[in-house]
Amino acid sequence: MLSKIPKWNLVLVVVLIAEIIVFGLMNPRFWNISILLNSFNDFVGIAIIGFFVTFVVITGGIDISGGSIIGLTSVVLGLLSQILGLNIWLAVLLAILVGGLCGLLNGVLIAYGNVQAMVITLGGMLLYSGVAVVLVGVSGVSAYEGIAGFSEQFSKLAYGKVLGIPHSVILFLIMFAIAYILLHLTRFGRFIYLTGINQNAADYSGIDTRKIITSTYVLSGLSAGVAGVMLTSYLGSARADFGSEYLMPILTVVVLGGTLITGGKGGVVGTALASIIVGFLQVGLQMGGMSTQYIGLATGLLLIISVAFLGISSDFKSNFKKIVVPKKINWR
Amino acid sequence: MSKIKSITAKREFRTFLFLIVLFVVVGIVNTDFLSINNIANSLKSSLLYIVLAVGMTFVLLTGNIDISVGGVLGLSAAVSGMILRDGGSFLVAIAVAILIGAVIGLINGLGVTKLKISSFIMTLGMLEITRVVQVIYTDGQWVENLPIEFKQLSQLSFMGMNVLSIIVVVSVILVHLYLSRSRRGRYFAAIGDNEDGAVLLGIPVERYKTLSFVISSVCASLAGLIFATQIGFISTTAGVGIEMTVIAAAVLGGVSLSGGVGSVIGAGIGAIIMISINSALVYMKVPAYWNDAISGSLLIIIVVSDALIARNASKQAKKERLNTRVLQEEVRESYAK
Amino acid sequence: MVSVRNLVKLENIQKSFNQNKVLKGVSLEIAESEVISIIGGNGAGKSTLMKILTGVYKADDGTIEINSEKIHQYNPRLAHEKGIYLVPQEPLLFPNMTVEQNLTIGFNKDKSDVKEQSKNLIEELGWDIDLNRLANSLTIAEQQQLEIIKGLLREAKVLILDEPTSALTFSETKSLFTVIEKLKSSGVGIFYITHRLDEVFQISTHAVILRDGKVTLKGKIEKFTKEMLIKGLLPEGNENRYKDKFEKKLVNRENEEPILKVENISGDGFRNISFDVFKGEVVGLGGLVGAGRTEIAEAIYGINQVSSGKVYLNGDDITKLGINETIESGLSYIPEDRFLHGIFSISSIRNNITAQIIKRQGFFLKKKFEKKVTNEYVERLSILLSNQEDEIKSLSGGNQQKAVIARILSTNPQLIIMDEPTRGIDAAARSDIYSIITELKEQGYSILLISSDLEEIERISDRIFGIYRGVCNAFLGLNEINATNVMKVAFGTYEGSETYVEN
Repeated sequence: MLSKIPKWNLVLVVVLIAEIIVFGLMNPRFWNISILLNSFNDFVGIAIIGFFVTFVVITGGIDISGGSIIGLTSVVLGLLSQILGLNIWLAVLLAILVGGLCGLLNGVLIAYGNVQAMVITLGGMLLYSGVAVVLVGVSGVSAYEGIAGFSEQFSKLAYGKVLGIPHSVILFLIMFAIAYILLHLTRFGRFIYLTGINQNAADYSGIDTRKIITSTYVLSGLSAGVAGVMLTSYLGSARADFGSEYLMPILTVVVLGGTLITGGKGGVVGTALASIIVGFLQVGLQMGGMSTQYIGLATGLLLIISVAFLGISSDFKSNFKKIVVPKKINWR
Repeated sequence: MSKIKSITAKREFRTFLFLIVLFVVVGIVNTDFLSINNIANSLKSSLLYIVLAVGMTFVLLTGNIDISVGGVLGLSAAVSGMILRDGGSFLVAIAVAILIGAVIGLINGLGVTKLKISSFIMTLGMLEITRVVQVIYTDGQWVENLPIEFKQLSQLSFMGMNVLSIIVVVSVILVHLYLSRSRRGRYFAAIGDNEDGAVLLGIPVERYKTLSFVISSVCASLAGLIFATQIGFISTTAGVGIEMTVIAAAVLGGVSLSGGVGSVIGAGIGAIIMISINSALVYMKVPAYWNDAISGSLLIIIVVSDALIARNASKQAKKERLNTRVLQEEVRESYAK
Repeated sequence: MVSVRNLVKLENIQKSFNQNKVLKGVSLEIAESEVISIIGGNGAGKSTLMKILTGVYKADDGTIEINSEKIHQYNPRLAHEKGIYLVPQEPLLFPNMTVEQNLTIGFNKDKSDVKEQSKNLIEELGWDIDLNRLANSLTIAEQQQLEIIKGLLREAKVLILDEPTSALTFSETKSLFTVIEKLKSSGVGIFYITHRLDEVFQISTHAVILRDGKVTLKGKIEKFTKEMLIKGLLPEGNENRYKDKFEKKLVNRENEEPILKVENISGDGFRNISFDVFKGEVVGLGGLVGAGRTEIAEAIYGINQVSSGKVYLNGDDITKLGINETIESGLSYIPEDRFLHGIFSISSIRNNITAQIIKRQGFFLKKKFEKKVTNEYVERLSILLSNQEDEIKSLSGGNQQKAVIARILSTNPQLIIMDEPTRGIDAAARSDIYSIITELKEQGYSILLISSDLEEIERISDRIFGIYRGVCNAFLGLNEINATNVMKVAFGTYEGSETYVEN
């Protein structure tokens, strides 16, 4: 059974356990379950976007617009519910849909327009946060304070608990379950892998790869929408700059989770573990009295080391070259 | 077939034209926008981005990407800023900044060429590391109270023109000549254009790739110095998120993320456009918050239309190629004889 | 008689890749002003020989003399210095650079000198290439001209042209020949690799036929006829790589409806193609690489569009359908390039085999079902593996190909298009594939076989349609299939080839 779990995930589990032990020894308060569970609020957004960016990366693409979509959905939610007076839950639904629309635009341009994912989502990143800023500006709300005055009911979304378990943890688990089922248990998920490994072969097998690719960006956009709603509830106001510093952490958890940046390999379990590791790191450092800024050092080093390790340990690269290169330069 | 030629050949030219149109249109609405003063100011506030875009272009030409420039900018600005604050000489401060850039660039380059880490991941990791090192080094404090003389560097003028602007513009032109005219300079684009071909010609591909990262980081350090002299203090968030603006500027200026295509002049113009949109909005009395939405859609429209044109051209080329193989009537007749 | 200077002399060149002996002692020489055509089928060893001549490969045995001087430690750089230059079939240019930049890059000479020289050369050759154009705007012909100029700038004494006319139009070919004449008179020696026999007689002074790693025919062109060249290309006597025979029966199909009926289709790379395939037969599309057969197959399968004509499967019009729909209607395709289009290299063997069948199952994957299907085909096609969950790239080429066959069989197709099914596969696996094909045929599957291996297509096919330069130029019925005819079809010299199209 153990052999079925990807090695990298085992490494991540070990790192996570070691992290919990070390931080606990430094400060026993770290072993307080409720503190750990509550800390999910701080990184649940990163994690749930990370789950679906994992889909995108497996197809061989990349999505850096997630952070901006958070800001946009937050503003849309605020405008619809607070300024236009729409029912809050309807507004939540529409806001998440807006996130999905942003993803759709990304996906269509990338899959059908054949433009590099990096360029399109970079443009998307500017555009979506730009639109959020415009919406705030046009509606005359103070950009700094954002749109506040959300109902008690809405703020429960982030602060509520079920059986003592914070909503954020439950959301984390639900989104993880959705992502896991989609990616690992359905034919849709299988097609995502096949598309990422060899888009040509997938096309020749009758898989509509462009539709598959587009749908991963839509999912990524929707998840950013969910994260935007959650963050708005957590922080109690809607602002355009929410999520602006999420870009790097999202990519970090995906790559740290063992998903190959060139596509075809990876999974959401790794992303989930990596996001918890990074999230707990922050809590631990805070408790240890260190600046949370150090977290960057740790994640940065982890990132480079893990990728170097993954790259060297798997024979993927050399074999990939064997397959691709010999037609042109097999005399080297 | 000549379609691709005219499009790609004139890519920078189109960007430049766009810049002119931007100035003329805004100038019609508000003539003040065309004043020498404003144009000089636009250039001055773009300097930082131009320098970064020039460095980025080297990396992009070889087919890689450098996300770490914002971190390098912040770190070297902070370190040399502290040297200056504590009474160090200008030369030492500048030398230290360049050294920091060179070392980080070297690490990036070696990681990419030797460890075979994808440049995106390598420089992303480096971005996070440099940010932290900056915080540790400055103890999380802003670097303030830079000597007046240093801040005045950015204000120096020669015959009514800003000296810094002149230096940057002249350097961009020189770098452009190096990349487009000199034998070795052209290797960068060659590597991104056709790596196998470059290897066959005996170009030391790994060395030039590493060099491109060093150049990019050194440019980021220089941009850090420009930041310090123009702003006068260095916050812990100096240069945060700037890497994406710079990449967008380069793409806007016709540099391709797949490598092999683009020029530093184009990237520089792209940077000026990104910055000028901001002031153009002010002059057109459009609220400044339209800035990102406009540059974002501009970027998307430009790259998508470029991609569509290129795709049609390559489809056409493939079609022509296949069809030339087909035995035609004229040939058959001649064979029948 | 004026003594001509010998430029290059190759003696007893041998070369093997792994266990595969590609060159079995080839001797060849070229003197000034000679144009030597090198003719051979696919895999005869032409390109290996030329790569040895340009220093890209090292010969296992044999000697190379350049200008009557024995060469040791040969490499591409030395080849350039000695004036040996290969114009590759697919030019390796820098697409985003101008013509001038492509000519000057990597050259240790002053740029203005190079530019001046190239201008003179272009003028001398009578070509019309603008030095400021981008390389990616050049036609293939122009790219080849550029490569030739590159060679001449390096003062090439021996120029190797690798199938230069394969992508040239008639008038472009004509102008290339004028250039060859000019080069010839200026003393350059030219190796001319080609499949087109007419061209051999048009421009060469000598002809060399390479078959199976050996020179089978060599001499002045005046001594040969087309018939003699074809004969030289054929295996001697009954020399056969395989012992088993395939049973073929002549079946009267008069009252039968064909499974696949292709009616006069034209598209990119082919025109006016018509043929049909009946139930339980193997129909071969004969011809050489680049003749347009893959393009025809891809058009039938729905990857490319046809511009005119109709394709019927079981009487249903499938002309305009996409891949997904043609698969559903009972078509399947084993692509030519296994790595590029066939396998998902870093996915498991099981996932490769079930990649298509899972589409017909529910939204959720059924692991048991997948295992069952995989087991079934692993047994049926005797795929050698240690674990279904291993990555498919861990398998040998033959077993990878079997996995691809398993994948398409799982969709239960009526017609299977096999494009070069045994390329890059060792002999044992090859005969496995052949017996799979026979079995499939017996079970009533129809197979459209595309193969450049003339022996293979001859042995397996019940009927053969010949494709030559994008047109269907010949039909071989069961009784007309033999090595000579298949070879003639491939080289476009089969009786009535020229007029077949009109019929």
